[in-house]
Amino acid sequence: MSDFLNAYSIQRWLELCPQGYLEDTVFGHGAAEHEPDPLIEDETLREEAIRSTVQLVVGERAALAASSGLVNAAPDYPSKRFLATQTLDEARHVEIFTQRLYDLGVKKDDLESTIDHFANPNLVKFAEVLLEKVDNKDFVAGVVGQNIVLEGMAFTVFEMMEAGNRQANPKFAHTLSGTIADERRHVGFGENRIGSLIRQYPEKKPEIEQMQKDMAYHMLNTFSSSFRQGSAAMDAAREMAPAGDGDGTEWQGVNMAEAGPEELQGALEKTVINEFKTRLARIGLEYQAPVMS
Amino acid sequence: MSPSAGGGSDPDDFDPHDLEPGDFRDEVYSFEFWFQAVDGYLAERPYGHRVGISEPALDPVRREALITTLCNYCVGETAALEGASGMVEFAPNRHAKIFLATQVADEARHLEVFLRRLIDLGVEDPEAEIASRANPSLLRFKERLLEFVAGRDWDAAVFAQNVVLETMENTAFRAHETTADPITAEILDGVIKDERRHLGFGENDLGARLMRDPGVRTRLTEIRAELDPLVLGTFEAAMGDLGAEADRRTALGRDYLTAIERLGLA
Repeated sequence: MSDFLNAYSIQRWLELCPQGYLEDTVFGHGAAEHEPDPLIEDETLREEAIRSTVQLVVGERAALAASSGLVNAAPDYPSKRFLATQTLDEARHVEIFTQRLYDLGVKKDDLESTIDHFANPNLVKFAEVLLEKVDNKDFVAGVVGQNIVLEGMAFTVFEMMEAGNRQANPKFAHTLSGTIADERRHVGFGENRIGSLIRQYPEKKPEIEQMQKDMAYHMLNTFSSSFRQGSAAMDAAREMAPAGDGDGTEWQGVNMAEAGPEELQGALEKTVINEFKTRLARIGLEYQAPVMS
Repeated sequence: MSPSAGGGSDPDDFDPHDLEPGDFRDEVYSFEFWFQAVDGYLAERPYGHRVGISEPALDPVRREALITTLCNYCVGETAALEGASGMVEFAPNRHAKIFLATQVADEARHLEVFLRRLIDLGVEDPEAEIASRANPSLLRFKERLLEFVAGRDWDAAVFAQNVVLETMENTAFRAHETTADPITAEILDGVIKDERRHLGFGENDLGARLMRDPGVRTRLTEIRAELDPLVLGTFEAAMGDLGAEADRRTALGRDYLTAIERLGLA
C-alpha cells in the first residue's frame, strides 16, 4: 500500500502540476487567450456559457468540501497527504471556473446570486448525498462518492466539453485540459486505496452501493435538464459558426459539430456509466442502476 | 502564473498591500498567488532541500534529540493539516476557503518533509516513533484545536490554528534553524516561509474583527490564557530535548509571547 501511495506524495504533485502542466498558465490557460467575441456578444450563448460554468463551480465546490473534509477521516498519513493535494486541486478548479464567470461578464458582487440562480437543483442534491457521508467521517463511502462517482462524472463531462471547445474556444479547452489531468489522478487514488479498504470492510458494500445509486439518479437528472436547457444555445452556436468550424471534432464517436442534444446526452450517459462500471468493478463493487421516473 | 496576472502591472513593482481590501483578497488568497510564492523556494528542492547537501555525521545523542524534535514537528504539522482541512468547509467566504486549501497543501508538505527527514535519519517506522515521542502538552493543544474545528467555531479555530500554532511553530523553527545541521536547516527555511503566510492570514482575518467587536477580544483573550501554558510547556520540553541552556528556553517563550501580543491580546 505504502509503495503505491508514494506516487501520490506532495513532492510528486509539485513536480507534476504546478511545476509541470500548469507552468506558464494563468487561471489554467495561456495568458493571451480570451473568450471568443461571438460568445461574449450573443446573449443566448453567453447565458448558456454562464449556466454550464456555474454547474462546474457547484461541482468543484462540493469536491473541495468533500476532499478537505475527508483529510481528518483518512486512516493513514499518505492518504491524508494525497487528499491535501486534492484539496488544493479542487480549490484551483473553483478558482479558475469562478474566474471564467468573471470573464463571461458576471460582476463580482453578483457571483453568489448568479450561482444560486443557475445551479441545477439535481446537481445540488447529488452533492448533498456525498457531503452527508463526508460529514459523518465515513472515509470509505466518502472516497467512493468523491473519487469514483463525482470525479468519474466530472472527468467525462470535462472531456466532452474539452472536445466541443477545442476549435471554437481554445481558452476554455485549455482550462479544461488541466482539470482533466487532475481528475485522472484523483480517480486513480480512489481505485487504488479504496479497493483494499472495501476488501477489509465488506459489510460496507450495501450502504456504498445505495449511495452510488442515489448519486447516479441525481446525475442523470442533471444531464437531462442541462441538455434540455442548452439546446437553444447549441442551435445558436451552429448558426454562428463559420463554415467548416468544428469539422472532424469527435468525442465517443459523436461529431460534436453536428450532434443534437439527445445524441450528445446519450453518448455522455453511456460513457459515464461505463466508466462507473469499470472503476467500481476494480474496487469490488457492482454498478447499481437507478430507477428513473 | 503570476500575481499580476489580473492586474497587468510589472511583477517587480507588485505589492499586494497597495490593493483595496476586496482586490487584496482576490489576489493574495488565491492558488495563483500561492504558486508564485512557493515556486521561488521549492523549485530544485525535493523534500525541502537541495540534492547535493551531504548528510552530516551526527553523534548519537544529537541524533536522538533531533528525532524527538522532528517527531513533535510531525505532531504539530498533523494538527495544522487536520485543523486547516476541517476549516475549509465552514470558512466564511470563497477566498478563505481557497487560502485554507493552499494551507492544507503546505501543512501536508511539511508533514511529508519531516517524515522524510526521519526516514533519512534511519527511523524505520516514523508513525510508531511519533506516537512514542509525542509531547503531552502538544497533543493536548492539538486536541483543543480540533475541538474548535469540530464545533465550527471560526474565530477560535483561526486564532488557535493561524495565530497561536503558527506563532509557536515559527518561533521554534527559527530558533532551531540557527543550530540545525545543514539539511534540517534548509528544510526549516522553506517551512518558515510558509508559516509566515499562514500567520498573515490569521492576523488579517482576526485583526479587523478585533477592532470592531470587543466581545471577540474578550473571548480570544480567554482562549489564549488556556493555550499559552500548553505552548510554553511544549517549548520547555522541546528545548530540553535539544539540551538548550535556561536563558535560551526563556527567550523562546518570550519571543512567542511578544508575537502573540502584536494582536493586542494582553
